[in-house]
Amino acid sequence: MVIEFWGVQFKVNVLLGCIGGFLIAVVSSMFGFGGGPFMVPLMTVGLGLPMYVVVGSSLLAIFFNTLMGTARHYQFGNFDLLFFLIMFPAAILAGFIAPQIAKRVSPLVVKRIAAAGLLILAGNLLGLY
Amino acid sequence: MRRFWYSLVVALSATAFMMIQSGIFAQHQLPGVQGSPGLEAQKPEGSASVTLTLDKTSLNNGGTVAITGTAPPGRPVYVEVWAEDQVRASRFDSEPDKETGKRPYVLYMTHQMPAMYRILVPKELQGKLDEVKKQGKGWSYSQALKDLDAEAAYSAPAKAKIERYQATLMGSVVGSRGELLPAMDEKENRKRSMQLVKARFRTPGKVFAANVEVKPDGAFAAKLNIDSGSAPGNYRVRAVAGKDASSEPVTIENKIAFPYLYLSNAGTSLNFFGPFLLTLAIAIFGVLMGAGGGFILNPLLVSIWPLPHTIVAGTVMPTVLFSQASGIYNYSKIKFISWKLGVTIGLAMVLGGFIGPKLTELITLDQFKFVFGWILIILAGLMFWQTTSGYLARNKKEQAILREFKKKAEESARRKASK
Repeated sequence: MVIEFWGVQFKVNVLLGCIGGFLIAVVSSMFGFGGGPFMVPLMTVGLGLPMYVVVGSSLLAIFFNTLMGTARHYQFGNFDLLFFLIMFPAAILAGFIAPQIAKRVSPLVVKRIAAAGLLILAGNLLGLY
Repeated sequence: MRRFWYSLVVALSATAFMMIQSGIFAQHQLPGVQGSPGLEAQKPEGSASVTLTLDKTSLNNGGTVAITGTAPPGRPVYVEVWAEDQVRASRFDSEPDKETGKRPYVLYMTHQMPAMYRILVPKELQGKLDEVKKQGKGWSYSQALKDLDAEAAYSAPAKAKIERYQATLMGSVVGSRGELLPAMDEKENRKRSMQLVKARFRTPGKVFAANVEVKPDGAFAAKLNIDSGSAPGNYRVRAVAGKDASSEPVTIENKIAFPYLYLSNAGTSLNFFGPFLLTLAIAIFGVLMGAGGGFILNPLLVSIWPLPHTIVAGTVMPTVLFSQASGIYNYSKIKFISWKLGVTIGLAMVLGGFIGPKLTELITLDQFKFVFGWILIILAGLMFWQTTSGYLARNKKEQAILREFKKKAEESARRKASK
């Protein structure tokens, strides 16, 4: 498939994109997280697209998954309204606070801390300690 | 002085009550001794011979209740406690059948599991209970009931209506629960309900406590501890001394007040500020590291609070819907989305999103945590890769191009708007 983005043409391997997107969607809707951090590497590294094409389009693709996943979880009775009403304002508030902090911290440091924190949490989940 | 009269009245009525109780017991002892196990004779004897009183009528977000009562002498006494509030429990049976070796792949599901359930067993059985606890995750609730001789006390969850679905590979692909199988008979329902008790409460410590003290004359005392975070509403307490002797259920109310909230779907009440502050902190961190907070939030939620993983997955997912939608709106305003690319991959993702939530209820919490652990390791790898010098150099160039294109896009959008 060939797509055009701001005057530049890109050849996209649709099969790889769709299979990868499908697998990411299954796992992310099963475990209830957004697939962003997996989708972006898939589209940049896997499909060889530049970042400026990926930012908006990956968000659009993930939105499809989130919408469907939400509807299905609701159908199976996995949605708790009160719990949602506790978390939703916090998530919105975070969207306002985070950019203020982002100006002051280096993304490099945040990502290194995140990587270490994720490993610790993973160890806990896998019952290593 | 008034106190004295009150206590006198209470003491007298208690004595009178006990005399009547033992009197009735003595009367009904006879047919039993004569060896005529008629059902009519046993029933009234059973319901009348065991008494039970609680020292409180209500609790505030859990607490300890002292239970006292009388039972026929020489019998072990069990106390069954359950919440009137009901929650969902499900279990996917994929264990190979012992005889045929075939895997049944049946999903058992009920909406009538008590939100809290516990059987208090005699103190002397602490050793046996410890043995059950030692078995770890592979423990069996029905076997534990047998070992603790508590089968007679097990009644409330056995009445839960259980639905069975025959899952098929095709059904899972299409994303349906499968074919609804005919209802089970009472005995089978009872057996399956025990497995659901384990699926819901997970550890022996939640469903058993060994603290009933029985005196030789049949008087017994026990302490019931209702955890903070339990469901609000009425709890029923029933004493059982063998198959034919049980007391009428006594009710105690558990009240909760803000900031404690009860999540009826999850069957858990928790302090409002806990999940609120956790979500806030994780979401901020998520934005900073450029990944959604759900990765960290979900495993923490299921680890900190006794929340079912299905509820966590199904409730965290919609919280990002709106931020995603507003992001798409902002990008589309400056025409910074390739709709062709986004929709093509999006259609594949819709299919995945259709199947995923179905799979959530087929796995146990332990499997949920295990897979999540590996997902986080992969994510940590991705994060680390994004801090390597090769990636940074490339990213710097990419970001510069991104800014340039975005500027162009914003300008053209502005021009169009001013026209």
